[in-house]
Amino acid sequence: MVGPVHYLVLAAILFALGAAGVVIRRNAIIVLMSIEIMLNAVNLSFLAFSRFPLVPVAPMQAGIYAGQVAVFFVIAVAAAEAAVGLAIVIAVFRSRTSVHVDEFDTLKL
Amino acid sequence: MDNLASLRFFLPESILTVAVLAMFVQDLLTRRSARRVVYLTAGALVWLAIVAFATLQMPAGTASLFGGLLQHDPLRMFFTWVFLGATLLTIVIAPNSGQISPNRLGEFFALLFALVLGMYLMASASDLLTIYLSIETVSLVSYVLTGFRRGDRKSNEAALKYVIYGGVASGVMLYGMSLLYGLFATTRILGEAGIAAQLSDVTSRIFLAHAFGGQPAAQLALIVAIVFVLAGVGYKIASVPFHMWCPDVYEGAPTPFTAFLSVGPKAAGFAVAIRFFFATFERQLPDGAFAQVGDVPWPAIIGIISAATMTLGNLTALVQTNLKRMLAYSSIAHAGYLLMGLAAASAAGVQSILVYLVIYLFMNVGAFLVVIAVANARGGEQISDFRGLSVAAPVTALTLAVFLFSLTGLPPLAGFTGKYLVFAALVQRGGFWNVILAVIGVLNSAISLFYYAKIIKAMYLDEPLDRTPMRVPRLYTGLLVALAVPLLVFGVYWGPLVRWASTAFGGPTPI
Amino acid sequence: MTESVFFWIFAVLTVLLAAQVVLRRNPVHAAVSLVGAFFFLSGIYLLLAAQLIAILQVMVYAGAVMVLFVFVIMLLNLKEEEMGHERLTAWKIIGGASIVVTTGLIAYLALGNAYPTGLLRDMARTQPGFGSVKGVGQALYIASVLPFEVTSLLLTIAVVGAVVVAKGKI
Repeated sequence: MVGPVHYLVLAAILFALGAAGVVIRRNAIIVLMSIEIMLNAVNLSFLAFSRFPLVPVAPMQAGIYAGQVAVFFVIAVAAAEAAVGLAIVIAVFRSRTSVHVDEFDTLKL
Repeated sequence: MDNLASLRFFLPESILTVAVLAMFVQDLLTRRSARRVVYLTAGALVWLAIVAFATLQMPAGTASLFGGLLQHDPLRMFFTWVFLGATLLTIVIAPNSGQISPNRLGEFFALLFALVLGMYLMASASDLLTIYLSIETVSLVSYVLTGFRRGDRKSNEAALKYVIYGGVASGVMLYGMSLLYGLFATTRILGEAGIAAQLSDVTSRIFLAHAFGGQPAAQLALIVAIVFVLAGVGYKIASVPFHMWCPDVYEGAPTPFTAFLSVGPKAAGFAVAIRFFFATFERQLPDGAFAQVGDVPWPAIIGIISAATMTLGNLTALVQTNLKRMLAYSSIAHAGYLLMGLAAASAAGVQSILVYLVIYLFMNVGAFLVVIAVANARGGEQISDFRGLSVAAPVTALTLAVFLFSLTGLPPLAGFTGKYLVFAALVQRGGFWNVILAVIGVLNSAISLFYYAKIIKAMYLDEPLDRTPMRVPRLYTGLLVALAVPLLVFGVYWGPLVRWASTAFGGPTPI
Repeated sequence: MTESVFFWIFAVLTVLLAAQVVLRRNPVHAAVSLVGAFFFLSGIYLLLAAQLIAILQVMVYAGAVMVLFVFVIMLLNLKEEEMGHERLTAWKIIGGASIVVTTGLIAYLALGNAYPTGLLRDMARTQPGFGSVKGVGQALYIASVLPFEVTSLLLTIAVVGAVVVAKGKI
């Protein structure tokens, strides 16, 4: 039988996959994709807690949807962040012709 | 308070929204005008004045806005004035800085107002959702303004690094928030069913412990959640381990924006941290002192981060040769000093943070202003470019010396006041580890003297680069003096500043 | 029972495709894998009784955002040599895998016994119409109207910001 913990552990594994992607990949576009995976893991975690609340939820109508509403905003903000991030990738590519994080030698890490 | 009634307390933010759009329109309308820089700067100043007036009209007292999403209180009002001060200075500095072309000044001001709006929201956010959205607003605009110098490789690469670190930090913060949401089934921090109320309610704590099959497991989940949320805040204030973006971004961004970034978002990050930790894990007793709720060791976590942040910032600053990078590491170190005030977990500690932030606004913006002036006249930001500045530009050199000694924390300058108050709050709180933390802070201040003094030596003792008088715009000289004088005043007479801070948080306490 | 079957199908496919994103050298392959991962994740959202969010996931993420990614990849049109050397050594893979395993383990330790037996609250069972467009929409427009408006401004700023950063000469 699948319970809340299954969903939560799946969320944690996806989050870790995204984090691992950020750490091991050097291609800026793939790093941005890995960040999107992290945000999706967070959404999954929010939704799992929203369906299986640990404590009695507030009786008001809005209270039971707090998690789903949060996910809505995370999706919107992630789209905005992706747009700005990709615009910056284009700007960097114009001045550098490389999208590799490691090859940015003008600035030291 | 419901949505409509809350709008009265939301007036500055509403005006800022209009200002953002109005600056875009004015940018289009003045496109062909020869005097557009003057018009745009005047327009931005007028909008800022209107926002300041609306902020001034805010009623005193405390109110919960939009059903608990925002909190109106004196702490919010205090921070709004810090933001307005930083914005005013940035608007005045930007047009003459030579780093933002006149064609793009309108865009710069519009985005700057959007950033101020985000910081206003950060200062009042009392719900996990609004905290996230406000931090994200500030971050997004910061990315854009960092990459503002189009075609400039450094600027673009700094922006990319900023985006990647920012994305990871906000992802980690969100994961922490989702865990908090799971533990408490709400995103509200304050209010009757909020996280704070649930934590101070003994029955719900016992339930939580029971649900986890024993206290330690619930404790682990809560601590993991808080450490994760701290990642987002730590990223905004540039504390370890989320400081890596700081030197590159400070170096790559247009300098007027760097000056703003080192003060505004850092202050806003502290606003979020103060509100989050004190609303959630502390309860004010009738005599004004704070008592901890729940058994979360958050002051210890903050204390460890603080010690690591200031030590790393100061040690790395020692080897820098570029002044902007050195100031970036120094701003990391200052984030560490400020976190010490938070680690004290007392009203005096928070008040010392507030006083420190105001003083920091003057000294740090001043230092960056000198960097702009020297970079424009001599074409570089290296320490070697400051050789013999005392001969070429005596007033500029003297004010920079004031700013740097103040950043070190030498009496009788205001930087000493700020550091003294932070250390005093820690020692007053007592306990072995707090005193150890204060000692680490004092040692770090001593280290910082080395690299600040390196610049002063270059200005006063080294063979001058150029003996002819350096051209500094009269506006800049005036601003530098206007920023340096308060540092001398607050260094010996800090009473009003402390009184202002104590009305903002915790009520009158003896400092 | 049906939930279990679908959960395992969707979960395994999501994790496999997400791992493809991290491991594939070619950004186009990674992007297509990510679209698939988002699609199967939306199936899991459906299992969690989040119908509106599941649809948004497909439309916004798998649709709009990923089109943006693919568009930028095509625009930059990286040639083989420009993609540089992605030194994906065995050590890096072991490191990445250990991050994943450790995090999953910690999550299981921290949350594994979070739900006491016999006390499971399942909103999908107790609340008829949980996660419907009507319910979430009301919560969104009444209780969260301020974040909604802030998000609209955020999106405006993002559009302007993207143009400010990336456009050439006006």
